[in-house]
Amino acid sequence: MSIVNPSFIEEMSRFTEFNAYACINCGSCTALCPMGIDLLPRRMFRHVMLGLEDKVLENTENIFSCLLCKMCEENCPKDVPIVDNIKSIRWYINREIFKLGRN
Amino acid sequence: MAVPIKHILGILVDNLSIRGSVLPLSKSRSTGWAKGLDIPMGGKTVIYTGHMYQLIPSITAMEKMTSKFANSWISKYYGIGRMVNKVINISRFMTWTNANERAKFDGMLRNIALLLKTAEVDFGYLYGEELYTGTLVYDEGINDVFEYHAHKVYERIKKHNVERVITVDPHTTDMLKSVYPKIIKDYQLEVKSYLEVLAESNLKPLKTLEQDIVIHDSCVYARYEGIIDQPRQLLENAGAKIIEPINSRKMTYCCGGPVESLFPIKARTVADSRVEQLTSAGDSSVTMCPICYINLKAAAENNGLSVKDISDYLVEAYCDRNNSV
Amino acid sequence: MSDKRRIGVYVCHCGGNISDYVDVEKVRDAVKDDQDVVISKNVMFACSDATQQEMIEDIEKEKLDGLVVASCSPMLHLQTFKAVAQRANLNQYQYTQVNLREQCSWTHRDNMEKATEKGIKLVRAGIARTRLTEPLVNIRIETKPKTLVIGGGVSGLRAALALADLGLAVFIVEKEYEVGGWTKKWGKMFPNNKIGSETINTLREQIRQHEAITLFTGAELIKKEGSVGDFAVKIKLVNHEIISFDVGAIIVATGFDSYEPFDGEYGYGLNGVVTLPQFKEMVDKSNGSLNLNGSRVKNLAYIYCVGSRQPEDGDLENPNLYCSRYCCSAAVHTASCVADVDPGINQYHLYRDMRTYGKYEVMFEDAGNKKSLFVRFDGEALPEVKESDDSLIVKVNDMLDGGEEIEIGVDLVVLVTGMVPRKNENLTNILKIPIGLDGFYNEIHPKLRPVETVVAGIFIAGSSQGPKTLAESVISSLSAASKSAGLLMKGYVDLEPFIAEVNTDKCIWCGECEKSCPYGAIEKVFCDTKEVATVISALCKGGGVCIPDCPEDAIELKGYSDNQIKSMIDALMKEVV
Ligand code: SF4
Ligand code: SF4
Repeated sequence: MSIVNPSFIEEMSRFTEFNAYACINCGSCTALCPMGIDLLPRRMFRHVMLGLEDKVLENTENIFSCLLCKMCEENCPKDVPIVDNIKSIRWYINREIFKLGRN
Repeated sequence: MAVPIKHILGILVDNLSIRGSVLPLSKSRSTGWAKGLDIPMGGKTVIYTGHMYQLIPSITAMEKMTSKFANSWISKYYGIGRMVNKVINISRFMTWTNANERAKFDGMLRNIALLLKTAEVDFGYLYGEELYTGTLVYDEGINDVFEYHAHKVYERIKKHNVERVITVDPHTTDMLKSVYPKIIKDYQLEVKSYLEVLAESNLKPLKTLEQDIVIHDSCVYARYEGIIDQPRQLLENAGAKIIEPINSRKMTYCCGGPVESLFPIKARTVADSRVEQLTSAGDSSVTMCPICYINLKAAAENNGLSVKDISDYLVEAYCDRNNSV
Repeated sequence: MSDKRRIGVYVCHCGGNISDYVDVEKVRDAVKDDQDVVISKNVMFACSDATQQEMIEDIEKEKLDGLVVASCSPMLHLQTFKAVAQRANLNQYQYTQVNLREQCSWTHRDNMEKATEKGIKLVRAGIARTRLTEPLVNIRIETKPKTLVIGGGVSGLRAALALADLGLAVFIVEKEYEVGGWTKKWGKMFPNNKIGSETINTLREQIRQHEAITLFTGAELIKKEGSVGDFAVKIKLVNHEIISFDVGAIIVATGFDSYEPFDGEYGYGLNGVVTLPQFKEMVDKSNGSLNLNGSRVKNLAYIYCVGSRQPEDGDLENPNLYCSRYCCSAAVHTASCVADVDPGINQYHLYRDMRTYGKYEVMFEDAGNKKSLFVRFDGEALPEVKESDDSLIVKVNDMLDGGEEIEIGVDLVVLVTGMVPRKNENLTNILKIPIGLDGFYNEIHPKLRPVETVVAGIFIAGSSQGPKTLAESVISSLSAASKSAGLLMKGYVDLEPFIAEVNTDKCIWCGECEKSCPYGAIEKVFCDTKEVATVISALCKGGGVCIPDCPEDAIELKGYSDNQIKSMIDALMKEVV
């Protein structure tokens, strides 16, 4: 069981835009991903939007495995900015978990 | 042992912050390719390499190390590595490159310069003043480091009163053309890839390429920047027959390169799939990005597929080689 | 009626539908020599143009005075063959259709011999009935060019205006003291954000200016007599005054009730659990932020399908199996309005299936763009709502995340309640129009006759017939208006002449028939020297309840006389050799 946490997405979007609200969960992205990352991006984005931080962090390796190749984004029927979202998640992890960055 | 993402990224960040590049190159390494080409320093229009072609030999060397690390005890020491790296540039040692490799990539840059000259484009070069654009930290989402760096790069370019840049690889093109304007206020720089510049010029082929060439679009050119027709036009004008693999143009398939530095094994799987697609379309393939080139080349090693950078083909068709060097 | 008759009999193959299971040749052979049968034929398709023409020629040449077609159900072709008779100058009521397909061949595919035997008997009965038919003429009723509209919501008002624009008089009866129904209570409504009360104001103003429209508020219908084209109605006004007038048609636009969750249904009864209409009111009143008990709402969850699509095999006695159609669209639209009021509110939509069909799909997208988050649950595992120290907790399995169980802490839970039928028993009894299994008024045919009821002249409009959006309600109310106008502007209606008839010789006026008739169609008159009963033809429905009540056998139903019925029974009983 997971507890929904709205402030997670607020924290995530503090410095960058995260927007997957248009996602209709069609699964095109997952099906087309050359990495075959079955969590990315559809479910990953749900975890972020629902604020299930544990689930997001469990998938750190998947998040950093994205090629940013935009195969998914090119074919997303709802024009979700998938790659920017993935980079936003990376930035969150780098900043809050890895403590990378300038400060 | 999990891949030490944190520490690898840490080294990249430190390098960029301390040494101005993710994998610091000596000035002679980054500018060596231009030796003897008589390209003037600076000018309103400059060729901008962004160090991508020059970096590849170092990155490959580092990957060879990481792919060993990924599943071994060494990964444990990445943390210590990062601390040491702050003082001593350990990536120097990790990225011990080989002279042949370096010559090959430098050759591609020379090709590009030669093509631009043949097309009668007036351009200069910033030599040692040119900086890496920060692609890797941008992609990995280390945003503040990247933004700081991007401003530095832009200031440097502007210090030399540059108005137009001609880029040579897709990643630098995307950075300067689409990413920088989003983070830098009043950004004023006209950015074109050399493929666009050549396609707009009235370059005439001197020699016919009587060849079937399987084209591998770069994800960044095709999907980020919409540069799709220019390379085809240039090759076709020279008489080559373009063969489109299963995934091409906007549906092109990644070479795996972008995750090389973190997950070399995963990257290789992707490259293998792509090489399979290219091989089933023909024997000779063409790339237009140094990352695509190196990854596909490695994956094609034992399979007979020839992989060439587009500049090699174009120089052959459009330039008089004797003019070079 | 013992004169010799001249009857033609046509036994149809129906292209194998009948002849594959009933030996139609044998049927024809068995009846060809029946009394008064002068012509009998087998035909491949009785309804084909060529066969119809052949029948017409036969009727004219053979001077037939009775026609029997043994084919399919009269539902399908009664009118077709009545028309054939008319075109050949034969009275349409001297035609009998025998249903040899639905009632014989299709039902007895397993036994051709017995099916053929039954077929013979059915055709014989048809012939027997036909032998006793007499030419009848329709009863023509002049229509009153006025309509009674029951219900002053958007549907009723819109129907009234449409009729008045055609020059027809309209009476609107609204039980509340104000017109406007649900719509007047609501603020922004989808799809164009028009304020509900403004919509009503516009309509009310138009109604007020229309001389042809008379509006009674605080009033109700207490009596209806008469039939299509000529109803006599009584209305009770606020001051208990009763007024009577005649109308030619009635449109029922009584609307819906909002589903009222039972105690504890998804936490209903807890502080902060509200229905969609209650929530809409909160949103309409909000100003800059949405507040509950004085504190600002930060997180809220919608639970969809409350009171709709209830499980058939659950604990509920009369589950609402239908989808209420409007609620998904209304909820996503409300969410967009909420986001406009306070973009900082986190809105979670727990839905079963998102049915923002047609153009309303864009509202779903709009809500998404304004950061509503949609969590799909399964009909088998409904969300749960409970109270914690400082908030409400909604528990749900997110089907878009492999059924992962999640808990959402919220300040407000909105139960997206559906539509249920209005409790209108009195009215239903007065109008005698049927109610479907779902409790809403029933149309004759869901596709082809969507606003007509089985009671001619009474139409249903808007959500009295079933859940509808506002736009759909107006479509159906305009449809009812046009059906009503079509009826009234023609000036008359022809009714079938199958009504009761009193044999004055036999009648002794005991008054039994008058007591039994539910339509008040019997009255006492003087005839020569005695009192007898007589039938008011415009009121008689031909129901026939008076007939068995008459101790003297003095009443018969035209077209279905006792003799006809008896002769049919005799024919059916006769052995087939
Ligand atoms: S392709 Fe786009 S809409 Fe479809 S699941 Fe992926 S992100 Fe969502
Ligand atoms: S951008 Fe990332 S998630 Fe999308 S298809 Fe490429 S590798 Fe997969």
